[in-house]
Amino acid sequence: MASYNHDTVRDLIDGRLPWQSTRSIMSQYKDDDRFFKYIDILQERVTFNDPILLPIGEHLYIVAKQGEPQGERVVKCGCGYEFGHYTQNWKLKAAINVRDEEEEIAEIYPGRHSYDPDWMEIREFICPGCATLLEVEAAAPGYPIVFDFLPDLETFYRDWLGQELPAETR
Amino acid sequence: MNDASKNETMTFKEQLLEYDRKFRETGCYAGITELKYREDDPLRYESLHTKLRSMTIAAREMARSISASPGVREVGEMVVALYTPEGDAISLSTGIMVHVHTMSRFIKWMIQNGYEESPGICPGDIFANNDAFIGTVQVPDVMVVVPIFYEGELVGWAGTVAHELEVGGITPGGDVYLAQERFTEGLFVTAEKVGYNDELRRDYLIRLERNLRMPIYWMFDDKAKVAANLELRDQVKELIDDVGLDYYKRATREFIEEGRRAQLSRVKQLMVPGRYRGHTFYGHLTEGKPGILPLSDGNLLYSIPLELEVNGDGQMHLDFEGTGSWGYHSMNCTPAGMDGGLFVTLTQSMNYEGKVNDGAWLATDMNLPLGTWTNPDRHTVATATSWALLLPAFGIFQRLLSRGFVSRGFKEEAFVGQVNSPMVEMGGQSQYGDQFGMALFECSAAGSGALGIKDGIDTGYVGWNPESDMGNMEVWEQGIPMLYLGRNITADSGGPGRHRGGTSFTSTWLVHNTDELTIATSEHSSRVFDNAGMCGGYPAPTAHRHFTVRNSNIQQIIDEQKPLPHELGNDPYKSDMERLVEGDMNVIEGPHIDKPLQSGDLFAHSYNGGGGYGDPIERDPLEIVRDVENGYVTAEIAERTHAVVLNHDKERNAWHVDEDATASLRKKTRNGRLNKAVPVEEWIESERERVLERDFVTEVRKMYQDTMGISSRFNEEFREFWRLPKDFVM
Repeated sequence: MASYNHDTVRDLIDGRLPWQSTRSIMSQYKDDDRFFKYIDILQERVTFNDPILLPIGEHLYIVAKQGEPQGERVVKCGCGYEFGHYTQNWKLKAAINVRDEEEEIAEIYPGRHSYDPDWMEIREFICPGCATLLEVEAAAPGYPIVFDFLPDLETFYRDWLGQELPAETR
Repeated sequence: MNDASKNETMTFKEQLLEYDRKFRETGCYAGITELKYREDDPLRYESLHTKLRSMTIAAREMARSISASPGVREVGEMVVALYTPEGDAISLSTGIMVHVHTMSRFIKWMIQNGYEESPGICPGDIFANNDAFIGTVQVPDVMVVVPIFYEGELVGWAGTVAHELEVGGITPGGDVYLAQERFTEGLFVTAEKVGYNDELRRDYLIRLERNLRMPIYWMFDDKAKVAANLELRDQVKELIDDVGLDYYKRATREFIEEGRRAQLSRVKQLMVPGRYRGHTFYGHLTEGKPGILPLSDGNLLYSIPLELEVNGDGQMHLDFEGTGSWGYHSMNCTPAGMDGGLFVTLTQSMNYEGKVNDGAWLATDMNLPLGTWTNPDRHTVATATSWALLLPAFGIFQRLLSRGFVSRGFKEEAFVGQVNSPMVEMGGQSQYGDQFGMALFECSAAGSGALGIKDGIDTGYVGWNPESDMGNMEVWEQGIPMLYLGRNITADSGGPGRHRGGTSFTSTWLVHNTDELTIATSEHSSRVFDNAGMCGGYPAPTAHRHFTVRNSNIQQIIDEQKPLPHELGNDPYKSDMERLVEGDMNVIEGPHIDKPLQSGDLFAHSYNGGGGYGDPIERDPLEIVRDVENGYVTAEIAERTHAVVLNHDKERNAWHVDEDATASLRKKTRNGRLNKAVPVEEWIESERERVLERDFVTEVRKMYQDTMGISSRFNEEFREFWRLPKDFVM
């Protein structure tokens, strides 16, 4: 079974591996030890020490808190900003900018590339801590904010990874 | 083997029911709980599969050279497949991987409806179908199957599908845009026996000849399909001679059970269990357009939400609860069509190792709420342009899968997904003076969504055919009364992101040597995005405006050797058509339905790019330089969206990054974001007032009325999210 070292996985996920090597990896059987190598690489990049349980996007992680309440599974941005428990939609704790006026739309979609703000709006979900754009929704006005991903962490760790999931204290 | 002797005494229908029972009882395809042949002699087993697969591929390649249609020859709009006697897919060629289970439905439908008794299923028979309520995606996907008999026993089916370029509907072409009901979609062949003794019936060919605007495409394609099927059938029989019937029957069923198990394993290997959600939208503009039938002439907005549940055993459940009702338009889809969308995405994202077959279908299920566009509750509903909603729907599926890939660490597999591929359909008088009809399949080369580790594919991808090719301009010019003035990359057509979406292209034509050219384009979302970005990437702009110039001074421009309009150009506010040409200029929003064009008129059509991945201001500035120098992104968008400051060296026509100014602009952009943004909870409070006042345009309000009426779950979630009173109605 395929297995790649730390540097190769790092370059691969950063898109820095030469395309021929990337393509070769993509065509091979998958490396079953990828997940924890990936977590190690991501853990080196974040500003906090809480162990990452699961990445759920670029810069977004479900972590087991080291501080109080200890072990609580919360969503954090790589900068350390905390969005609350992972079973709640992190977007509700983010900052939002809605592009529904001509001038703001034209910054990204000028002229014939534009959309109709009566029919649709662009919602930018921004980290209040570091101002990274974490997610963009294109939705009709009035459409509820979508909760992108609610992982089944217990099944994932216990049954798929064969690992203990650190317990939550509450 | 017991199976073989048992089958001799059963009708085809009893056999089908018996296999269904075995699956229900054991949870394994055909009751195969052990992959005995695979374990006993894997080389022999794999060798059989490889041979069957290469036979389907060889049959497809041979048939492509028989076909008359550039859709099949140039673009590769064809697939060849092998099925069990009960109609389960064993092996497929390359090409339109959509049809793994659509043809399966067609074969099963014939068996379930007593075709063994009448009209009979005999050696040498040829059956055809393009009815999506029986088993295909849309009218132009015409499938032809032949039974494979070995020593008097039905041992399987060979089937081929090709997308026809003209189907004789109310508007010319294959994807009949103006169809509002089945009765205007064109020529239906509804699970018919169209040939016997290995030959197509003459009366069937006469029907094609007299009911299509351009019969040559369908007729020659059908001959190509028959040839592919006969080639596959005869090769399979020779192979059975070699391996023995019992081995063939058991091994081919093991392939399917292995396909089922492989799908479950791959989910567990690449994904994370849990609930994934996403949505997209589709805007449809018909109001006031010429030719719209009286059943419905209003504009429409569709919301397409998708929930994906990944279970602990690897089973995936897709749920389209909350989407809108079917309507009097051509964009509805049948469950068979939804199967097509599922398979063509699965084969690209998970099911790519070669054993693509009905096993994956057994490992995945879908909730298609009855009465919605995904599952109309009457068979007279039109489905001619079902891809319009199908592609955006399964683009969401690709993004949901990708969320799992990103979580799991397989970022190289993350793919922001497919986009719609607006199509130019046309008819009228050809450049040779004859009647013609044609679907221009250059739409097979849209931009793809970005990947998790790199930019999307530029001008080279569509969801419905992983092997797509736009075809040479010269080939299309042979079939249509238009000359290309240009095919150009459309700058800024990819969604911005750390990795940008693939860009698309625009074609510009001079109408040539015809008095009457009717153009009806389809599969355009209007006013809204029908795609999305991911992880901070933006959706790609939706290409939905058509540019025509009638009574143009093009001849004068040519005579005076002035610049021709080869493209729309990089100015999003004024096209090159407007800048360089004089005449009656018209910009048509949404599908192009208008009075015919004639020689000397100009027409321009744009295709879609894909959505972006990641925050655009994290994009490497050097990649932006490459984008700007090559025309993928304009310097204006580079600065406004990616916050990269470039200097232009006019002498060398080269661009350079001003690193200090870029660092400063990116810092300013971050600060600006936080200054403008408000806490989401605050925004929800203010929006809640708007919802309570129902302060939306008609189309948005109608969309909510429809979805809240048809889905109690959406209704409940909507009210809960906005904390609305229980008696709230939109």
